[in-house]
Amino acid sequence: MKEKWRLLKTEDNTASTNMAIDRAVLVSCSKGKVSPTVRFYTWKPPAISIGYFQSLAEEVDLDICKKLGVDYVRRITGGGAVFHDNELTYSIVIPESHYQIPKNIIESYGRICGAVMKGLKHLGIESKYAPINDIITNGKKISGNAQTRKAKTVLQHGTVLMDVDVDKMFSLLVVPNEKIKDKMIADVKQGVTSIKQILGRNINFEETAKAMKLGFEEEFNVELVKGTLTREEIELSKKYEKECFSTRDWNFRR
Amino acid sequence: MQSKSVYKVPNGKLLKIFLEYNEKNNSIKNIEITGDFFAYPEEAIEILEKKLKNTSLKRNSLLEKINSVIKENNIEFIGLNPEGLTEGILMCLK
Repeated sequence: MKEKWRLLKTEDNTASTNMAIDRAVLVSCSKGKVSPTVRFYTWKPPAISIGYFQSLAEEVDLDICKKLGVDYVRRITGGGAVFHDNELTYSIVIPESHYQIPKNIIESYGRICGAVMKGLKHLGIESKYAPINDIITNGKKISGNAQTRKAKTVLQHGTVLMDVDVDKMFSLLVVPNEKIKDKMIADVKQGVTSIKQILGRNINFEETAKAMKLGFEEEFNVELVKGTLTREEIELSKKYEKECFSTRDWNFRR
Repeated sequence: MQSKSVYKVPNGKLLKIFLEYNEKNNSIKNIEITGDFFAYPEEAIEILEKKLKNTSLKRNSLLEKINSVIKENNIEFIGLNPEGLTEGILMCLK
C-alpha cells in the first residue's frame, strides 16, 4: 500500500500568512502531529519574498511596492528575491529521517525538484534540475527553490512560473546600477520562461496543481490526500504571522 | 570607517557585505553578511557575524576565524564558502 501524505491547497493568502503557514506546518510535522505535507498556494496581493540572508532595503524598492500594492516578506529559507505573481508556489514538509529524503542537502534539492519536473512533464514540458536550486527548460529558468532544515524536519518551497512579467518584476527590485538596468532586464528575459510561454496558452492554478500533484505522487511513490490545516496549525500560523512575518523587526532585520 | 562590497562567489551566489572597521588597527567593528546564498542552520550567520568582531582584516586571520566558527557551529554553506566570504570582506577595503 502506498504511503499517504497530506495535500493542502490554500489559494490567495498574504505574504506573511503564506510564510507563517509553512512554518506552522514545519513545527507541526517536527512534533509528529501530521504526516509529510505538500502544499500548493498563491499570493494575494502579489508579493516579493526575500531570502533569509538578504537585506530588504537593498533588494526591494519599497516605494514601488507600495504604489503597485505589492506585499513583501522575509522567508525563513535562504536564496534570492522572488516576485510571486502568476505562479503556483509549492511547499513540502517532511522529516529529515524519511527514507525518501537524502541526507545531503544538494541531493535532497534535486530529489524534491524531481517532483516538480515530473509535474511539468504532465503538462508536456521537459525540464531539468540546475543546481543549486533552479529548474530549467530549454536553458531558461521556470522554477526556483529554497530549503531549510529545522527541528530535524525539511521544508522546501519553490515556484512554478505560470506566466512572467520581467518588466514588472524589475520595477520592484533595486538595481544597483541604473546604466546596466536595461541589459539586466534583457538578460533575465532571455533567462526566464513560464508554462504559458512554452505551451503558448494560458494556464490556471487548478490545472498546474493537478499536474504537480501527480508529479509529487510519482517522484515519492505516495498518494497525496487532500486535507486541511489542523486547528493547532491555524493557531500557530496566526501567532507566527503576528509575532514574526508581519513585523518590521523580522522583515527589516537585514 | 564604513564600507560595502558586492562579490559574486565563483560558482556560487551574490554576496553583499556591509562592514564597519577600525582603521587604526585594521579590524572588524561590525559586519553584516547578506546575499542570496544558503547556510544551514540559518541562524548561525548571526553567530558568525558576532564572532568576526575584532578580527584582523588580514586574509589569513579572516579565513582562520571563519573556518573555526564553521567547525564549532557545524555550519554548512551552499553557494558560499570561507574563501569567498574572506574575499568579499577584503573587497570592502578596496
